[in-house]
This record gives sequence, C-alpha cells and structure tokens, in this order.
Amino acid sequence: MGQTSEVANELRVALKDSMIEVKAPRERRIFMRIKKASFQETVKRLINDFGFKHLSTITGVDLGDQIEVIYHFARDGAIELSVGVALPKNMPSIPTVSGLIPAASVYEREVHEFLGVSFEGNPNLSPLVLPEEWPKDVYPLRKERTFEELRQIGTKK
Amino acid sequence: MGYGSTIKVPFGPQHPALKEPENFLFEVDGDIVVNVTPRIGYVHRGIEKALELRSYIQDLYLAERICGICSHAHTTCYTQGIEELLGVEAPPRAKYIRTMIAELERLHSHSLWVGVAAHEVGFDTLFMYTWRDREVVMELLEAISGNRVHYAMNTIGGVRRDISAEETAKIRSSLDFFEKRVQKYLDVIRTEETFLKRTAGVGVLKKQDALDLCTVGPTLRASGVKNDVRADDPYAAYGEIPFKVIVDDECDVLGRTVVRCKEMLESINIVRYALDKMPEGSTRVRVPMAVPPGEAVSRVEAPRGELIHYVKSNGTTKPERYKVRSPTLANIPALCKTLVGAHLADIPIILAGIDPCFSCMDRMVFVDVAKDRNWVWTMQQLKRNTSR
Amino acid sequence: MDYATVEEEHVEMNVFSALQLLVFPGMLFLFCLAFFYEWVDRKFFAKVQNRYGPLYAGPFGILQPVADFFKLLSKEDIVPLASDKILFTLTPILYLALPLTALFFIPISEQTGLIAFEGDLAFVMFVFTLIVVTVFLAGWSSMSRFSIIGGIRAALQMLSYEIPMGLALAGPAIAAQTLSISNIARWQSAGSRWGIVLQPIGFAVLVICMLAELEFVPFDIPEADTEIVAGWRTEFSGRKLALFRLGRDLELVFVSALITSLYLGGAQQVSFLPPIATFLIKTMPVVLLLSFLRAIFARFRIDQMISGMWKYLLPIAVLQIVLIELGIGR
Repeated sequence: MGQTSEVANELRVALKDSMIEVKAPRERRIFMRIKKASFQETVKRLINDFGFKHLSTITGVDLGDQIEVIYHFARDGAIELSVGVALPKNMPSIPTVSGLIPAASVYEREVHEFLGVSFEGNPNLSPLVLPEEWPKDVYPLRKERTFEELRQIGTKK
Repeated sequence: MGYGSTIKVPFGPQHPALKEPENFLFEVDGDIVVNVTPRIGYVHRGIEKALELRSYIQDLYLAERICGICSHAHTTCYTQGIEELLGVEAPPRAKYIRTMIAELERLHSHSLWVGVAAHEVGFDTLFMYTWRDREVVMELLEAISGNRVHYAMNTIGGVRRDISAEETAKIRSSLDFFEKRVQKYLDVIRTEETFLKRTAGVGVLKKQDALDLCTVGPTLRASGVKNDVRADDPYAAYGEIPFKVIVDDECDVLGRTVVRCKEMLESINIVRYALDKMPEGSTRVRVPMAVPPGEAVSRVEAPRGELIHYVKSNGTTKPERYKVRSPTLANIPALCKTLVGAHLADIPIILAGIDPCFSCMDRMVFVDVAKDRNWVWTMQQLKRNTSR
Repeated sequence: MDYATVEEEHVEMNVFSALQLLVFPGMLFLFCLAFFYEWVDRKFFAKVQNRYGPLYAGPFGILQPVADFFKLLSKEDIVPLASDKILFTLTPILYLALPLTALFFIPISEQTGLIAFEGDLAFVMFVFTLIVVTVFLAGWSSMSRFSIIGGIRAALQMLSYEIPMGLALAGPAIAAQTLSISNIARWQSAGSRWGIVLQPIGFAVLVICMLAELEFVPFDIPEADTEIVAGWRTEFSGRKLALFRLGRDLELVFVSALITSLYLGGAQQVSFLPPIATFLIKTMPVVLLLSFLRAIFARFRIDQMISGMWKYLLPIAVLQIVLIELGIGR
C-alpha cells in the first residue's frame, strides 16, 4: 500500500493543474479524474515520465448527461491506474491516444461504436464488433437504449 | 507469382483453421501476406449490456459463460471486483481453492492449445495424444465441480464447493501422470524436425513491438517480457505460493509453444503446493445483495493473458456499468503485426499462436431461410424448449 | 490350319482377356483392393494415434471405405457457376482412370502384367505426370481461390519430386537392363536379388517421392486442410468427390504395387504361394510404411518442400545412380 499511495501523491503533485481527484482505495489501484482540457498533455506525462506504458483497455461509461471515458494504464504489470475524463453527452469527443499507443486504436473503436464517443485524429473508427447493417446512430451501451429496442434492431432484416 | 497483382484470400468466418468464427481478409502476393484486415464480432452477444440488466448474483453466471475455456478466470475476476466493492474478502481456504481451479483450467486450456497448434501444422498425431491426455484433467475437474467446463465454483464471497480428501488424492495422482506427459510433449516439440521447421522463426514478434502493442499473456512472455498478473498484481492465493514466471527469448511460435508447455509444468507445481498448504476453515462468507456505490478494477491472468474487468456500482442490486476486456482482443494488434510478411501457409499457426478465444472477445439468433425471417428466443422460450 | 478352331481360340482368348481386365486381376479386383488398402491405412494411422479408426461398418470397420464411397455417390453434386464445366466433369474420371490404367502394367496375378511391353516403365512415369496435370486442371477448373492455390501447389510439388522419382525408378531398370516393369520384377525374383537390398538409397528416395505423389503428410501441401480448406478438391462434391477418393485409393494400390515390383521382387511364385498371394504379402508392408510415415510427421511448407527436394533429395537420388554405374547395386 505504501508504494501505491506514494505514487498517488506524486501524481497529485505533478498533475495538480489537470487533476480533479485522485484516490488509491487499495494497493496497486489508483483512480484519477482529470479535466478534458489537459488530457493530451497528461497522458503524455503519464506514459513518458511516470512509466505507465501498458494500456489495458479503454472503458466508456454513460453517466446520464455525461459520458466518461476511462483509460486503464498499467506500470510494469503492477500498479493499475484508471484515468477518467468526463465528456458532455451531446458532443462527446476527445483526442486520440493511438499516436502514443498504437494498441489504443482497437479500444477506441469499441468505445466509439458502443457509446458514440468520437476520438479526434483516429483515422479508423470503423465498427469493430457490430455488424455492417447496424444503424450508425444507435449506440447500444447508452442508457436510453433498452434491450428490447436493441433486439428489434438486431433481428430485423 | 509476382505479376504485381495480389489475391485477396478470405479466412473465415467459416474456415477449417479457425475454431471460432472471425474474418481475416488477407492480401497475398504469391505466397506472402502483404496486408490483413481483421473483422471480429461474429459471436458478439451483447453481454456488457446484459450484465447491467441483471442482479450481481445473476451476473455471476452470465460472466462465467463469456467463455467456455476460461470460464473460471472470468468468474474469479468478477467475484474479486464485487468483493472489493463490498469490502469483504474471501476466506483463505476459498482463495486456495480458487487458485487451484484456475491452475487446473490453465492446464486444460494449454494442452488443448498444444493439440490445436499441432493440428494447424498437420501434425495430427500430437493433436490426438495431447487431447487424449487432456481428458485426465477434464475428468478431474468434473469430479471436483460436476462439470468439464463452466465449473460454477466461484461465488461472491468465496467458493461454492469444498475439496474432499478423496478428491485431493485423485488430483495428486492425475497430476503425476499429466506431468510426465507434458514433459514428453516438451521433448517432442523441441526435437521433432518437421514441427520445428513450421514453428521456429515463424510469426516473429520482437520484444519492443510486443511492449508497444500492449500484448499480454504467453505471447508477450515468449517475446522475452517477464509480465504475469499472478506475479505482478497478485490475487487469490498467488501472493503466498512461490512459482516461476516462464519467459522465452525466441519471439516466435515455437517460443510460445515452449512457454505454454513450461507453464503447464509450473501450474502442476502450484496445484501441488496449494494442496499441501490448503488452510482449514470456511469456504465462503455471506454478502448482502446490494453493493455500495464505488468502482473497482479486477485483473486476472487467464490462460490467454491479462483479463481485466471494470465495475461501477450505484448502490442497487444491479451494476451501473460492467466492462470486460479479454486477452484475445489485446493481442489482435500484435497478431496483425506478425501476420504481415508471413507465408500463406503459416497463417493458421500464427493465428493459433496467440491462442485466440473469440467468444471471450464478441444470444441465440435463429434464421429461417425458407420463410426469410429471423427471430430471437427469449429466456422463457429457451427454458421451455431446452429443458426436455 | 483349321480356321474354325483358330477363330474359336480367338473368341475364347478375347472373353478371357476381357474377364481379366474387368474382374481379376482387373478393375473389380483393383477396386476391392483399393477399398481394402484404404481401410488398412486408416486403421493403422488410427492405431498409431491411439484411436480406434473405422469400427462399425463391417467386421473391424472393414467396409467403411465402401460405405463412404456409396454415401458420396448419393450426395448432391454441386457444380460452381464459374467453373469450366467440361474440365470440372472430366477431371474426376481421368483421375480414376489413370492409376487404373497404370495398374494393368504391374504384375499382380502372374509374373507379367496384363499389358507389358519394353518401355512400359517410361509409360508409367508419364502416367504419373498426367495424374498431376489432372490435379492441376481439377483445381484450375474449379475457379475458386482455394482450388487454384491447391492446384498450383500440386504442380509445384510435382516439379520438385519428378526428377528424384524418375532416378529412383530408373535404378532398378539399369540394374535389370530392361525398361519393362514385369521384366524388372522377374529379374529380381529369378536371381533372388531384391532392389531394396541392392539399392536401399533408391528405395528410400522412391518412398519419399511416393509420399509426395500421394499427397501424404509431410507432403499433403496441395490439400492442406487447415490452410486452404481442401485445396484442389474443395469444390468437388457427390459423385465427383467419390471418384476422386476412389482414384486416390487406386493410387495407393498402384504406388505400393510399383514399389513392390521394382524393389521387392514383385509378384512371384514362391513354392506353393501363387503370385497373387506374394503380391498381397509384399504390398501390405509398403502400405503400412506409407501410413506410418504419414502419422509421425508434421506438414512441410511449400517452399521448404521445394528447397528440401532440390537440395537434398535430388543429390541423393543422383548418388544412387552413380553407385549403380560404379557397379554397386547391380
């Protein structure tokens, strides 16, 4: 726990301008919320200065009037750092990190097709998992989409 | 053939080389792949949405069915995340049992893979032998849990079944047999010329590429990187059990095969240690139905690599958001990298090299071609029509 | 000269020859033998892999190949729209007829083949080439990605093993100073000098080339099922596929019969055993050997096979010829 809270404190100090909150609920887990404005800068520093080079995945969460995009980084396989950025639901867009981490492209595509977040600068946001005939503006993981509705779309031909 | 034009060869969704449906469109110049476009999602079942609609205990059974062959990894990951949110910890005996089942699962998954890899290069005899010996592990799991796959051992707060003394003895004798067989296979794959010709130097993924592309699991470890969630981010009983992280420097398919075989030997040791040091006590604690609001990230080393679950709870009995990222998806970028420049004939073995499990990665849909309509069975219809 | 009797004799001989060609040791017998050897191959292959193999059709599953054949005959015969219809229909028939024709040159029930002439060994080699051309055309006429790749691979494979095979076939011919298979077999059995003893290198080379010809592992590259579905046979179904399978079984009989005649002394009268019995006794181990080799190897890649054939097999085959010329193995 010692090392994790140390790292959390380092992050709090180094990124205090972009930080909204940071907490370390248990060892090897840190949850951070940052402002969208300083997103790119922060990610660069996390990768280069703090060594969080492994991106486990990107999660999109529908919070009602906001969509939160959470990036799950890992350092040497040990400390898992989850960085969340809240975006307005009517215009959810955030710069891509696939320039810094090529593997991010796959995860960004998934968040894009399920929640409608657009990742500026990502050249390939084609659907990863949903079929080609799926209507482009229906984002299945948004709360307003009910299971019934999705089933209807999935089975009509 | 070098006339300047390329042939587009589709692999899938149905192809003898693929055990599950996915689509890869290869652009081939003569015998060499110049480009590959993966298209996945053929077994996408909308599980993340489904998880939001059910209670935590129902979701446990849904999570298990994300995958047939790493089902225990998914439930371990799931229960760990929920237990973290609840602030409870599974009793020590439960943790040891979880570890043991996880390693037995790793054994049967890896031995299945060795057979599949052998089959992909036309070495059917090894395929038959490994699958024959794998039955020993499957029968063991059936004796312990009642099922060959989908063991339903985990529950929120611990495990549902205990291991009896009789089962312990059976485990030990089966493992002794299995260990000898695995050592034999390790020998064969390292000395059989025709197998070496098809796997050595094939599907090379250099160490830096593997790290840059966020590869996970045996694929990463075969490129010389010593990352293993069991060692780096210990969970269940792994913090108390000494074991080696297997690494190989070859960076090719042969390396991945060797890593998996050696991991099987390590798994056998872990199970033996767990049996020797199994603590007494209860196997589960009671937990409330509603989970306090919070969020948790749970990571587990599934047979295929790092499995990560993210859960966000809102105080009710159903999760607000549940995210699953299975290891096969993490290895897709690395897979595409290794496929470009490969021979057409090497595609199946390179595909198999990452041990793809596409079920993990993407509801029963019926199509009536004659009447040109399709429909979906609801839960009630499913129950009614299949429980005869 | 009594014309009546000569004509009678003629008629008798024609009926007899026709019976020989059609029944024994001709087509009917060869078909039965083909089914039998397919069963032997499958059963032995399964045993090596610790499996049962065919089990239910007939005692020990011996009727399984027959059952498979008739099942295929009854299945739907789909012809792809884009295929070359004439070639698509013709190639299965050719693939069946060629090994059958070649088998008439091999001594089976007597010490001479049904047809024999000086130079029939060269004709048999030509038949080998024709078989591969048929395979290539089968793949090409199917007009499907996988078939075309399979057909090309088959042709490439043949280009690689043809020369070593020719040399391995020529070895016994040089020793026996004749180009007739029947004469070679008789020369070996008469002098009790089997080719396998005189020219073991040639025997090994021939076995390897025959594995490639039969498209057995490690040389089943043209029909590698995990890579290109079924290779050149992908688009064939029903009757046509049945003919291909029977043709392949006949090839197996033919290859083992050829190896027997050229290196194992062929069909010969041994004390009380008629030639047909020695023929069966000698070809059986050859079939078992081919089956065994099929079980213990993985599949080569096309470029590995080509380079292996040209870099290693060809010089070894040449070495054998050189040895023969130097007097060893005559």
